Amino acid sequence: MAADGAQAQSVQTQSAAAPPANGAPLLELRDVDASYGKVQILHAASLAIHPGEVVSIIGPNGAGKSTVLKAVMGILRPTTGQILFDGQSITGLRPDQIVRRGIGYVPQGRIVFRDMTVAENLEMGAFTIADKGRVRPLMDRVFTVFPRLGERRTQRAGTMSGGEQQMLAMGRVLMSEPRVVLMDEPSLGLAPRFIELVFEKIGELKEAGMTLLLVEQNAAKSLSISDRGYVLELGRNRFTGSGPDLLADDRVRRLYLGG
Amino acid sequence: MDLLQVIVSGLLLGGVYALLAAGLNLIFGVMRVINLAHGELLMLGAYATFFFYDTTGLNPLLAIPLVAAAMFAGGMVLQRLTIERVVGQPLLSSLLLTFGLSTLLTGVALNLWTTNFRSVVYEPLTGSLGIGGLSISRSRLVAFAIALVVSGATYVFLRRSTWGKAIRATAQHAEVAQVCGIDVGRVRLVSFGLGSAMAATAGSLVAIVFTFNPEIGRVFIGKAFAIIVLGGLGSFVGAFLGALTLGVTETLAAYYTSTQLSEAVAYAVMVGVLLVRPSGFFGQAES
Ligand SMILES: Nc1ncnc2c1ncn2[C@@H]1O[C@H](COP(=O)(O)OP(=O)(O)O)[C@@H](O)[C@H]1O
Ligand SMILES: [Mg+2]
Repeated sequence: MAADGAQAQSVQTQSAAAPPANGAPLLELRDVDASYGKVQILHAASLAIHPGEVVSIIGPNGAGKSTVLKAVMGILRPTTGQILFDGQSITGLRPDQIVRRGIGYVPQGRIVFRDMTVAENLEMGAFTIADKGRVRPLMDRVFTVFPRLGERRTQRAGTMSGGEQQMLAMGRVLMSEPRVVLMDEPSLGLAPRFIELVFEKIGELKEAGMTLLLVEQNAAKSLSISDRGYVLELGRNRFTGSGPDLLADDRVRRLYLGG
Repeated sequence: MDLLQVIVSGLLLGGVYALLAAGLNLIFGVMRVINLAHGELLMLGAYATFFFYDTTGLNPLLAIPLVAAAMFAGGMVLQRLTIERVVGQPLLSSLLLTFGLSTLLTGVALNLWTTNFRSVVYEPLTGSLGIGGLSISRSRLVAFAIALVVSGATYVFLRRSTWGKAIRATAQHAEVAQVCGIDVGRVRLVSFGLGSAMAATAGSLVAIVFTFNPEIGRVFIGKAFAIIVLGGLGSFVGAFLGALTLGVTETLAAYYTSTQLSEAVAYAVMVGVLLVRPSGFFGQAES
């Protein structure tokens, strides 16, 4: 266990672990504590993501990875600490207000609106888009990224396979034109070919310049496409570093990569 | 032909029931609150229509949009002050709260308006029409038509408009709706207002078809439960079919036995269906 109050260890002291030299973070957590009822889950969790970066949070089950994302989205209010987006505090805002600021979130468990069609699900993703004339072009863009969704636009989401539902959940988040996307375990429980597809699509988003915060149990795969990673343990920062450095680090390998 | 006459009459009645049940369903779908005070909202709509007619002497149908708008606003106030506090709490909390509201509203109404039965008798809406050998009550026909239009409009609103879809999305998964940028607190507020307005409109129709007093809320909530048990909780189309079924069953019972007994029909149907098919006849929950 990490020593209480200790700073997260950098696995390499060189520049890789430090944020890119240019500019301020797009999204930043500063010493965030968060609790479910009386049980404190996050203990001074801190992280920063810069524009265009792909950052992974890894760690054992129950470490608080999902809780970090929920705190960012305002689903859970931090008891102390600050969450900044684009330099402004979003701590304590409602989820819908946070979405309007430009943060997209794909929750764990490929949750879609089951009784709505694919197109209606995407329309809900664009709820914050004021100019409804832009919904169609946005939807068409999602269909070029996920052609399968285009073929099934009138199908009820609940009747699709798990992999297709995950594609829909990913497509839905793009409809709001977010500046950063948070994804919680997008490959969890999917068939192998869909796991490949999910990571392929994440790679495409990265290529397109999207800023991503990724939570994955598939730590090796996730770190290999990430610029940087954070290892979370019992709600505390444990290690941090560049994707390749974390992948190469003995302690991280032993504890989290099954190597 | 007598039987056909009775069935048509029952179907017409079912339209008003459908409107009541649809509002109850909407509120449950979005808030997971079973509104035991729904019958009292209907009762208030009936009295509002009665007083409108009593003071102005104008066509009581003109009261409907006014009463609906007032109850839309009143419902939102009620939601903010009371219902919102039990959202997400155990079902028992909301049952006790709405039971209390129901009793309170009935008590206040009894105090103000006594147990005397009232009705709205507007000459042009009385009497019957002869259609194809059937004799159809004019007020029932008008009430049915209005109930159908309002239910239909609500259905189209929920299916087609962005706000309607946001309401359905919230009913299906509030947390995900929220992270689509939907203000689910506002959705709950508007949904309760809509449900209240639908109940009040049903009340306006009840005022022109039946006699009523402050205690009819209890009678109608019983009918609404029977309908929802028939149709499946949360299913708009199922509830509509359930409402027509109940209307016909009641009318048949009244025709072949006695009016007193027909009051018990709703409960008999409810118990019967729950014994045979606990999930309801016409629908699985869908929104
Ligand atoms: N809704 C909740 N209520 C209470 N405890 C919760 C809730 N969600 C998660 N927890 C607890 O918080 C801890 C962290 O959970 P989570 O953030 O989901 O972990 P991870 O995503 O890293 O697996 C776990 O101990 C879990 O049991
Ligand atoms: Mg998790």
